[in-house]
Amino acid sequence: MAAKELDTTRNAVPFDKANIPGPKMAKAVKAEVAGKFISKAKRPLLIVGTAAGDDGVIEIVRTMAGKGIPVAATGSSLKRLKEEGIDATYVNLHALVSYLKDPDWKGFDGKGGYDTTIFLGHTYYYASQLMSTLKNFTKIKVISIDRHYHPNAGQSFGNLKPDDFIKALDVVVAQL
Amino acid sequence: MVIKKGKFTIEGLENVQINIDKVTSSDEEKEEPQGPTPAPDIHELRDWDMRLLKRYEPVYSPICDLCCYCTYGKCDLTGNKEGACGINMEAHQAREAMLRTLTGAAAHAGHGRHLLNHLIKRFGADHPIDVGPSDIKAPVTQTVLGIKPETIGDFVPVLDYVEEQITQLLATTHIGQEGSAIDFESKALHAGMVDHVGMEVSDIIQISCLDMPKSQADAPLVDVGMGIIDSTKPVLLCIGHNVAAVTYIMDYMDEHDLFDKIELAAICCTAHDMTRVNPKAKVVGSLSKQLKYIRSGIPDLIIVDEQCIRADMMRETSKLHIPVIATNDKVMYGLPDRSKDDIDDIIRDLASGDQPGVLLFDYDKVGELAPKLVMKMAPIRKEKGITALPSDDEFKKLASSCTQCGACVIGCPQGLEIDKAMEAAVEGNLTLFEELHDKCIGCGRCDVECPKNIPVLDVIEKASQKVIREEKGKLRTGRGQVGDPEIREEGVNLVLGTTPGVVAIIGCPNYPDGSRDVYEIAEEMLQRSYIVVTSGCSAMDIGMFKDDEGKTLYERYGGGFLKGNLLNTGSCVSNAHITATTIKVAAIFARRDITGNFEEIADYVMNRIGAVGLAWGGSTQKALSIGTGCNRLGIPVVLGPHGPKYRRAYPGKAYDKDKWNILDARNGSVHNVEPAPEHLLISAENKAELMPLLAKLCFRPGDNNLGRMLKLTHYNDLSEQSLDVLPDDWHIYVRSEADLPLAKREKLLKILEEEHGWKIDWDRKKILEGPARKVDISFQPTNVPRLCKGAVE
Repeated sequence: MAAKELDTTRNAVPFDKANIPGPKMAKAVKAEVAGKFISKAKRPLLIVGTAAGDDGVIEIVRTMAGKGIPVAATGSSLKRLKEEGIDATYVNLHALVSYLKDPDWKGFDGKGGYDTTIFLGHTYYYASQLMSTLKNFTKIKVISIDRHYHPNAGQSFGNLKPDDFIKALDVVVAQL
Repeated sequence: MVIKKGKFTIEGLENVQINIDKVTSSDEEKEEPQGPTPAPDIHELRDWDMRLLKRYEPVYSPICDLCCYCTYGKCDLTGNKEGACGINMEAHQAREAMLRTLTGAAAHAGHGRHLLNHLIKRFGADHPIDVGPSDIKAPVTQTVLGIKPETIGDFVPVLDYVEEQITQLLATTHIGQEGSAIDFESKALHAGMVDHVGMEVSDIIQISCLDMPKSQADAPLVDVGMGIIDSTKPVLLCIGHNVAAVTYIMDYMDEHDLFDKIELAAICCTAHDMTRVNPKAKVVGSLSKQLKYIRSGIPDLIIVDEQCIRADMMRETSKLHIPVIATNDKVMYGLPDRSKDDIDDIIRDLASGDQPGVLLFDYDKVGELAPKLVMKMAPIRKEKGITALPSDDEFKKLASSCTQCGACVIGCPQGLEIDKAMEAAVEGNLTLFEELHDKCIGCGRCDVECPKNIPVLDVIEKASQKVIREEKGKLRTGRGQVGDPEIREEGVNLVLGTTPGVVAIIGCPNYPDGSRDVYEIAEEMLQRSYIVVTSGCSAMDIGMFKDDEGKTLYERYGGGFLKGNLLNTGSCVSNAHITATTIKVAAIFARRDITGNFEEIADYVMNRIGAVGLAWGGSTQKALSIGTGCNRLGIPVVLGPHGPKYRRAYPGKAYDKDKWNILDARNGSVHNVEPAPEHLLISAENKAELMPLLAKLCFRPGDNNLGRMLKLTHYNDLSEQSLDVLPDDWHIYVRSEADLPLAKREKLLKILEEEHGWKIDWDRKKILEGPARKVDISFQPTNVPRLCKGAVE
């Protein structure tokens, strides 16, 4: 029997059932597409929450950091990133979105703000609310490569089974 | 003769009555001068708000991108667009945050008004205020309104002011009239401040009239937990926030020696206040226990009053033949008013089930009826064989019928993996459910979502019976205010920083990872000699856990206003005593005039007093209003990860140097200082992230060397402990080598030299160059130009 094709656009409904913000909801994208968007970003920022330290997820953080994408470590993710030797900057996520909406913020490297944010490994409802800030008050692209559909992102995976999630991350990495 | 307020009839003169309104004190000339803003209207503290909001720019996180307020229809405001009335997303979100703050303020003020009217009727308007050993009896009221109440009747105009402000603020939400987000924010801060006045009134009058502990550090310990109730006795459960009716039940039970025969217990703040009146009462627990405990079927009668009471009460209780008596007109459930009826008739109708519940506003009747009815109900319910939770066999069938579709998970506010727990339970493994139990907030959304109609909450509770039986903790009853003598003793340590800070753990049980977190947060800060102040649901949850020797934190730590002590102020309305404490420090330690002088006091608090609020499980509108009131007084607040659902926060931008300019009140000179406190309202993802943040938000520009050294020690330690790194910004809080923790001074000096390029004299271990500013012990930081010497109004 042929292996079932991985389709990250299925089941694109908010993981918190009633978290329907309004007319503009994230476009469900295939993993290849998410990877291509990330690879084309001029000033991307990978924002990783505590669950980004989970096995199978940390690998994509390492790969993206290795490709030169700066990593913002929110929650308590920094501890695990440090163990893995991944260079990252600790920042509170709520504070970070306030920086991102500030046109005068120079970014972590002092070279200016970011045009694309990539969310991975967050507490679902927490990240969703703070993506809402970026969606409504900035022009920054928000790509969620988390396991669940995030309506407030610009692009998101649908709700994925754990195994499919890891496979999807591998596909994203392959595009970078 | 002492002239009092009230009505007087002169004997011998028919139809002559003298009404005396305000009585002027004979020693009024000794009172401190009236400040610039007594009873301020909406705009009068706007300048102060703008100072705050310039530094802490509001950040909005809309939970809904639409405005659905009017019949223009739903307006899509996505991307900060404007709606049909012209309001944009930013202003709409500010309005939403203000409206939620107002809702909370109204809940407390409404509670206060109900209680005040009731207590004046019962005790008289001249009943004196007695809060314990304090000359400053009502610090928040005095600071905001510029008056010093002496009797409970003196609070009538205070609540008049609160109600007027709430009305005026609410009026601004009509259509789009207020077009400025920043002015809605100022209004929200005003609502928060007004809320603390309403709370203070509510608690002071009940403390004064109902013989509650008065600034009592060793207030009695009482039992708390779902496992403490002896269900072999009739169980009378009270739910809500207003103790008025319940006092009559306690009086009746005392008079008739019924406390051994009836289990009198409560959920939410009525539980706090019941035990403050009579420690024989028991505390089942917080808001999250409400539906769970009703579903347990243990209560034989439920009395409700107001605020955090579930709307589905009658459906839940009717199924289990538990009568409900509603005692407050804010919650009436469509029930008939039986206040004028005979007690025996009411008992008959409720016991038979002819009526599932009644309204009863005559508290004398409530006092007599409730004990009689509960004793009648217990055998009736027993005889009917009412069993609430599933039997072992039913439990297995229910768990087996779960198809692991995940509907419960996506319905759960916490995203708890109920489906996995069901799967494990089928195999006989209940541990996943037992772990879920503490994280579950008891909302019941899982039940509603299940396509198989499994009563999921009942399944969780049934599976967790072992841990529920062990839920037996201790709570120190609400002590009320911090007394003036305590302030005199501790205030200097707090202002100079030798006590590293005050952490106020308040709010609801919507915790991200269960109630054990608040216990662990409190324990960690107590061990580090912070003063931990608590109230409401958080105070209950802190008392639910024990150390290896079986002792709760309330048994291990003192209840005074001293470093390393744990103070339970009481119910939600007792939160006013937390803000009041900072006002008292300004008044007693710093000798600031507080009367009608809000801005100056808030400025002092923000620059000098290392206090931080934590609403880790904040979910109600009241928690937002309490936090917003703290914010206006210059106290930063941290929320848990559910916090952004309040739609607005006040994060600071440490990198923007211009935002951290402060004046020196000695001469008006401008100084660029470290970002302290860095945020005014912020959230954290989890406990590990929270801990160093709490320590950081205790920094103040006015810290002396010793205080800064202690605060820096804890900030660095907690960051290394939680995140495994020194914080990347610790150095910006260093002004001289004396700010560095002694034990690590050399190591930190080396980092300053190597990583930050500071110049160090290694022979003297002295910093030569690097800090943004030096310590000046006479520096008088202020954000208010008029407070500077020589300033022209």
